[in-house]
Amino acid sequence: MRNTLSALLMIMILGCFNESFAQQTTPNNLGSVKGVLRDTTHNYHLKSATVSLFKADSTLLSYQLSNNYGEFSFSKLPLNSKMYIEVSHLGYHLFRKNFIITDAKAPLDLKTLIIATKDISLKEVQIKIPPISMNGDTLEFNAAAFKLDSNAVVEDLLRKIPNITLWGDGQITVNGREVKSILVNGKPFFGGDFKTATQNISKNALEKVQVYNTIKDRSNPLDSTLEMNLKLKKGKDVGYFGKVGGGMGTDRRFEGDASINMFSPKVQAAIIGASNNVNKIANSVGALTANSTFKGVGTDVEYQPDFRQTGINKTFTGGVNLTYNFIAKPDYNNRNALTANYFEQRKFYDNLDDRETIVTRNTNDKLFDRSISKSESNNDNHAFDATYSLSTKGSQLSFTPSFNFNKGDNSSTSEQSTFNNENKLTSTNISSSNGELDNKRFNIVARYNFRPQVTYSNKRTFPGMTINYSLGVQDNNSERYNVTKFRSEIDATQNRDFNRKYVTQNDNLNQKIDFELPGLMSWLFGYNASRIVNVDAFNNFSNSTNKTNSKVEDLIVGTNSYQPNDSLTNFNQINQIDDSFGLNLSKSFNKSLSNRFNKSLSFRASLANRLTYQDNKSDRSFQNIKRNYANFIPSASISHNNNQYGEFSRSISISYNTDIYIPSLQQLAPIIDDSNIYSISYGNLNLKEATSRSLRFNFSHNTQKNKNNVNINLSGAYSTSDNSVMDSLFIDEQNRRVNYLVNGDGTKNYSGNLNIRKAYKLKTSELQLTAYSTFSAGKNPGYFNSVFLYSNSLNSSNRLSINYTYLDKWALEGTQSFSYSQSKQAAFNTEYDTKTWTSTVSTRYNVTKKLSLNSNISFNSNKASKNEAINFKIWNAHVAYRFLKGNNAEFKFAALDILRQNNNIINYTVQNSVTTGTQKVLQQYFMTTFSYYPRKFGKDAPKK
Amino acid sequence: MRLKSSFITCLLASVFFTTTAQEIKIDSSSVQTLRIDPQNARGASVSQLFEEVEFIPLETTKESLFGSVGGLRIVEDKYVFFDYDTKAVFVFTDQGKYKAKINASKMQQDEGDNKESGSFWGFNIVKEDNRNLIKIFTPKYTHYFDLDGKPVKRVLSQEDKYISPFRFSDGKTSIDRYFQKINGKDTIRYQMVFVKNNKDSVGYFPFKLQERYGGGERVYKSSEPNEYLYSNNNSYDFFKITPEKISFAYRIILPASISLPKDFFKDPTFRKDQLEYFRNNKSLIYNIGGVLSVGNNLHFKLDNYQWSSTTKRIFSYNVKTTELTSLQDLEPDSLSYFLPVNDGGSGYEFAGRGFHLYENGYLYTSYSSLSMFAFKEQSAGKKATYPALLENYFKTSNKKSNPVIIKLKPKKS
Repeated sequence: MRNTLSALLMIMILGCFNESFAQQTTPNNLGSVKGVLRDTTHNYHLKSATVSLFKADSTLLSYQLSNNYGEFSFSKLPLNSKMYIEVSHLGYHLFRKNFIITDAKAPLDLKTLIIATKDISLKEVQIKIPPISMNGDTLEFNAAAFKLDSNAVVEDLLRKIPNITLWGDGQITVNGREVKSILVNGKPFFGGDFKTATQNISKNALEKVQVYNTIKDRSNPLDSTLEMNLKLKKGKDVGYFGKVGGGMGTDRRFEGDASINMFSPKVQAAIIGASNNVNKIANSVGALTANSTFKGVGTDVEYQPDFRQTGINKTFTGGVNLTYNFIAKPDYNNRNALTANYFEQRKFYDNLDDRETIVTRNTNDKLFDRSISKSESNNDNHAFDATYSLSTKGSQLSFTPSFNFNKGDNSSTSEQSTFNNENKLTSTNISSSNGELDNKRFNIVARYNFRPQVTYSNKRTFPGMTINYSLGVQDNNSERYNVTKFRSEIDATQNRDFNRKYVTQNDNLNQKIDFELPGLMSWLFGYNASRIVNVDAFNNFSNSTNKTNSKVEDLIVGTNSYQPNDSLTNFNQINQIDDSFGLNLSKSFNKSLSNRFNKSLSFRASLANRLTYQDNKSDRSFQNIKRNYANFIPSASISHNNNQYGEFSRSISISYNTDIYIPSLQQLAPIIDDSNIYSISYGNLNLKEATSRSLRFNFSHNTQKNKNNVNINLSGAYSTSDNSVMDSLFIDEQNRRVNYLVNGDGTKNYSGNLNIRKAYKLKTSELQLTAYSTFSAGKNPGYFNSVFLYSNSLNSSNRLSINYTYLDKWALEGTQSFSYSQSKQAAFNTEYDTKTWTSTVSTRYNVTKKLSLNSNISFNSNKASKNEAINFKIWNAHVAYRFLKGNNAEFKFAALDILRQNNNIINYTVQNSVTTGTQKVLQQYFMTTFSYYPRKFGKDAPKK
Repeated sequence: MRLKSSFITCLLASVFFTTTAQEIKIDSSSVQTLRIDPQNARGASVSQLFEEVEFIPLETTKESLFGSVGGLRIVEDKYVFFDYDTKAVFVFTDQGKYKAKINASKMQQDEGDNKESGSFWGFNIVKEDNRNLIKIFTPKYTHYFDLDGKPVKRVLSQEDKYISPFRFSDGKTSIDRYFQKINGKDTIRYQMVFVKNNKDSVGYFPFKLQERYGGGERVYKSSEPNEYLYSNNNSYDFFKITPEKISFAYRIILPASISLPKDFFKDPTFRKDQLEYFRNNKSLIYNIGGVLSVGNNLHFKLDNYQWSSTTKRIFSYNVKTTELTSLQDLEPDSLSYFLPVNDGGSGYEFAGRGFHLYENGYLYTSYSSLSMFAFKEQSAGKKATYPALLENYFKTSNKKSNPVIIKLKPKKS
């Protein structure tokens, strides 16, 4: 294991050496410099010392580690300009040498440079820190060595480091390997979102960026993940940062937010509040914090408001986050922390949509349905959660209680008209609904994991266990008034009017205990037996009780009073006990050849049974149902990893799974509400459970060379279901649907994903290419008006994007995306499809260090089946000016949807229908915002 | 594996200097104190220390592909070694030509034997009827092969008489690493045994069962004929052992900052969680191993938990001049075609185990083709003229080829 880790590390280091001493042809106007480092005290060449190359004005031009011969070499340098190198190495005095390259033909040879050891008394000119160094197994990038604007943040520093790539989606890679977590002084920082740390922490507060491997599973070093720790300077581990901002715009648009985040070695506390009516919605304190970061001086193309968001959302959000680390310097085996969060979100939503749906009833028989709906809702949600976690050597324990209170009201109206093939109106419906809800939820989750140290002796030792327990209690209350006015243009006797009140009370209690006993073989028969096959036993048990009390009343026509509706009023209690138990068998084979490769092949098979007991008690005799289900749910997987040192790592896995879907009471024996004119679904007591079998495939390939790495991820899935619950649907001429549920075989689903990314780090610029493609297809059987047919569907989404950044001056991003959906029913000879093309160009230009211009434009084209394409453009631009010494204040003027063309197009296909239309969206507005970012890292220097 | 056994060796052993009547008394009269400060170790050029350097690339074929050289022996001008990756013994000629491979599939199996019964973790060389044989222990049998990898015979392991590998020239006297004596109800365990006339065994350095003794290599060939160097692995002390005499030869003293606390092996508080202690005190030297006695030079390896390729671990100490040389910091020169003679400083092979062997006046080490090609690239400007063997290797091989053995003849100092 040590060897594998060492090799991984060696590859990491090799990535930092200079490319080669073999002389390359240099252009006429560029020169190069070389030299050898020597420790004469100890009489050897200095290997792996950091050589940094600076311009005369102390701008860092390049750096490298000296090679095995103590040599360094820099090429493509300007002629006739003053430069100097600095050599630093642990235990040595800093060495500096000035030079000017005059000759382009031959490299300037600085010959042997003698580097003095620290024990030789020398007058230290200046203490400087090298850009990169190795500290045991940790690769360290030292912040002080990178000259940046005084207002730069960590992210700006990371962009400067040749070995690190920051991707557009926030991912960070070091020499091609993905960083899985970022810590600050060894601890997660305000919830662990990368941006919160990298876009807030001042580069000047940072001592160094440390990159290292962490191993979760000590038996498999290839399972190691890359972690980044931001080590703050001494005394800078106390501080605060935040934001106060507000903006007013045309069309009564506004936004405002205020936050303060304070931290010390043991405590992290955040208070944040935000409000806007420009569809900026955050669902947690963490998300809000990540959206109001300081950002430094870089050129990232900024996040823009989402103009595709449906409706208009006005939100008031706020929260508090508190983390207390009982251990100031935690590590994997020694952690003790308490986190508490409170979050409130009040959301006012309104939307208007106008849509047309074409429904195929039979060959050459279509219905055209038009509807206009308006909806509004108010919601007030309070969430509180806390987590206590304790890790000691071999065991981890955590408790997470959470409360949630949600109160709200909503109202909607809808007008619907249906036309037949001859464009004749067949029915209309006007409906409205008003309601209130009041939901309370309490959850507690406790997890305990115990893994004593593995002993390789053949003594039988207890292998540990995992227990997870959760308890959930819910109390949901709602009151709703529905008015429906259905008019048939064919047969007036079918006209219906309803004015109904529903009062529903629902109580739910849910408990789960998952228990796992790993390593049974070594426990029962000793370590040698576990080498034959590893066996884990598990039992996942859950028990839930769900009580629903529904009171339904109808308005007596001509009066203001309601009378009980006895056919709909009901009480119902469902008890469900579920138990899955079985054995996981696994076996791994490992093949490695020192300094060449490490390959592993793993097999896993799970032999499990799932037993379900369902007991429904109701005041309706037909709903008193007791059912038992017993199913064998096997699963299996094979995975192969191939790590070729210094070249690539590749993994392939295939897995097979079985899932059981048990029919719900609503599917078995629902109470039919006749006011649901357009959709009535009858239950079927003969429904059986559905069994779905799926096969998944995953492939990933990541090159691990010195630079310009490529990452490829490919995945695919296929599933088929037996006894899946399918529709037997009858659609009449007035688009009223009556559905009977039956079991049927033949449901098939396919899906696939492809993701490719490649970055080119050039001397002054960076180019990133990403391609993404996904598709899903399905074949679903069903009856439509007594005809058995298959509905085939296909959905695909594809995106190609190019991102170019030049120094910290200019960024340009171009994205082309295309999505497609198709629905086919061969029996009716129907085929519907929709296509959406979007081309986006975004750019940011930093005119000065304080002033930046941002603009983006997207060209959208939507096409549904044979309709004309709908084209529109969204153009946004903003100018931002930062002022005050620390760039703490920002003035921003934004013009959004300048062309006033934004449209939220509805465009989708489902089975035998295609729907098109528009929805209410955010449209053109201009906004002026002012923000102030209070921030401070470290305490004040004591006043003298 | 070696590392693990070294841990066990050093962690669980304990010293008791008690002697009984029939013992040869340990002679402490000429003990030499060696003060070794790794920080002061100096480098040297290859030609300052050696007079001959030869690179022997080991032939790479589908059959001969292996991971790294372990337990190297030189027998009849052939290289014989064990590879942990392929779990096989390999035989190559002195020119690096592949000769034979012995792996589990070559073990003659009985019907019903499981796969494990053919697996093995090393080999020995024995001389029978004037023939050198490769002797391999498997759980059931001891197998004998000739140097062409052909099976010669096998005997049931329990019937195969154990012979200590540390024998003196008289053929009757030997030493070994473990001994236990049953004295009534008590069993006394010793870290070392001295055997005379192949039967009279005397134990040295007794230890209690709960203290456990460390395994691993603790007996090393001395540069003097008919002499062994012995370390009990729980002190920094070395003993010279001849058929007549056991003498306390060297007491190594390291700087306090990297020395184990004096009572480390006796104090039960340390013993409770020693691994944890070493992890928290990474610079402490828990073992001095890999000892080779080369003329006046004592080569050794300092083991600690500080694991980086640049940590100085392998040293040569001249007992006459007290000069300390860091063998990871040898500077390649024209004698070595400007190629490093070990991978110290960038790889881990040399830092992990030091030299393989000192035999017939030559030292042997090896490193990977991954390092070899990196070094060649780094030394491209030095215009070295490679000998034919090496020239051909660079032309026909790549960084995934088999490792290269480096044969060095130390200068007489």
